[in-house]
Amino acid sequence: MGRTWSSMEDFEAFLDDGGMVEVDDDMPDEYRTAVFRFIELHANSELMGGLTERDWIPMTPGLRHKMAVLAKTQDEIGHGHLLYMVAADLGVKTRREMLEDLFAGRSRFHNVFHYPARTWGDQVAICLLVDGAAVPSQKAVYKDCSYGPYKRILKRIIAEEGFHLRLGEERVLRIAEGTDAQRAMFQQSIDDWWWPALRLFGPDSRPDDRLARWRLKSEKNEVMRAGWVQKFVPMLHSYGFAIPDPGLTHDAETDTWTCGPIDWEPLKRTMAMDGPDTARRIAEASAAWENTRWVRDALDAAPAGAVA
Amino acid sequence: MHTYEVFLKKDGQEEYRHAGSIDAPDDELALLLARENYLRRAEGDLLWMVDRAHLLIGDRDFVAPNSDKPHRDNDGRLVAAHRKSQREAQ
Repeated sequence: MGRTWSSMEDFEAFLDDGGMVEVDDDMPDEYRTAVFRFIELHANSELMGGLTERDWIPMTPGLRHKMAVLAKTQDEIGHGHLLYMVAADLGVKTRREMLEDLFAGRSRFHNVFHYPARTWGDQVAICLLVDGAAVPSQKAVYKDCSYGPYKRILKRIIAEEGFHLRLGEERVLRIAEGTDAQRAMFQQSIDDWWWPALRLFGPDSRPDDRLARWRLKSEKNEVMRAGWVQKFVPMLHSYGFAIPDPGLTHDAETDTWTCGPIDWEPLKRTMAMDGPDTARRIAEASAAWENTRWVRDALDAAPAGAVA
Repeated sequence: MHTYEVFLKKDGQEEYRHAGSIDAPDDELALLLARENYLRRAEGDLLWMVDRAHLLIGDRDFVAPNSDKPHRDNDGRLVAAHRKSQREAQ
């Protein structure tokens, strides 16, 4: 058996010493549940993102980018797969229970996957701004993550998200070199996706955040958000695109960009499963699950070890 | 359905390393799913998989007695101190 701790104080002292929790450890229930919910949210988001990515495979312009979207889709679905394995090992829900909860609208996924991607410009904006928010968020979890199995899988995921982000940066370069109509399409996508992507970091971190206390997070939301603004404002400006934030300010002395007031109402609506595209996305994911039932049935029916 | 543990090794590197786990109904699909989930970008040249039910596990209590055997090591301190004093005497 794994390790046991006599109390939460004892367990937190272990974490404070840099201790890493493993799956067979007798971790406190509150920690187990919090880690499970965090990984389940991540897994759900990878799957929902991957499904939208898949929608765009036929419509992606050019063979090279079409192949890249195929690879990216496989990555996102693969990330979901690995994360569901890690989450299921915590023993709170099985993978099938997690998927059924997701498709029934009973469990959450990140806010950015509650919006419709209407144009190729939207896909470019997502690949830049959303993947550009996901990478620092995941790095901040990986950096000091106290749950070993999640930390090890995150290492793999972060490397692949890095490919996606570089793909996004290349797509922006290409669309910036495009026609006026293509540039106008992308400006509309920035206008639509800037704020949802910015809200992905969430409101300012609370000082009593248990996820920080238990070393699931090692950076404050507001610090990551500020870094994201500082990175993408100059990048988009350099291509001649505008940022849809009238409150955006620039400190010339420190060359620092700061965003204006943030409206959190849209985030609350997505967390209440009431975003602009929530119902359609869940219905689509659920239909994909139903359409592949025959595969699962065939796998379940295969005699164990038949091929071995 | 079986849960398999996945181990990868790169050519020129010493050890197989645990990469993660995968669910599959049989060995053939286990290998295929592991390749598609863990080896998309040449993360290894060789692949080992074992059904989790067949893992032989030595737990912490079993392993622990060997973590406190200082007599199995020698830090060379006594000889180093002797050499140092010899050098200083010259």
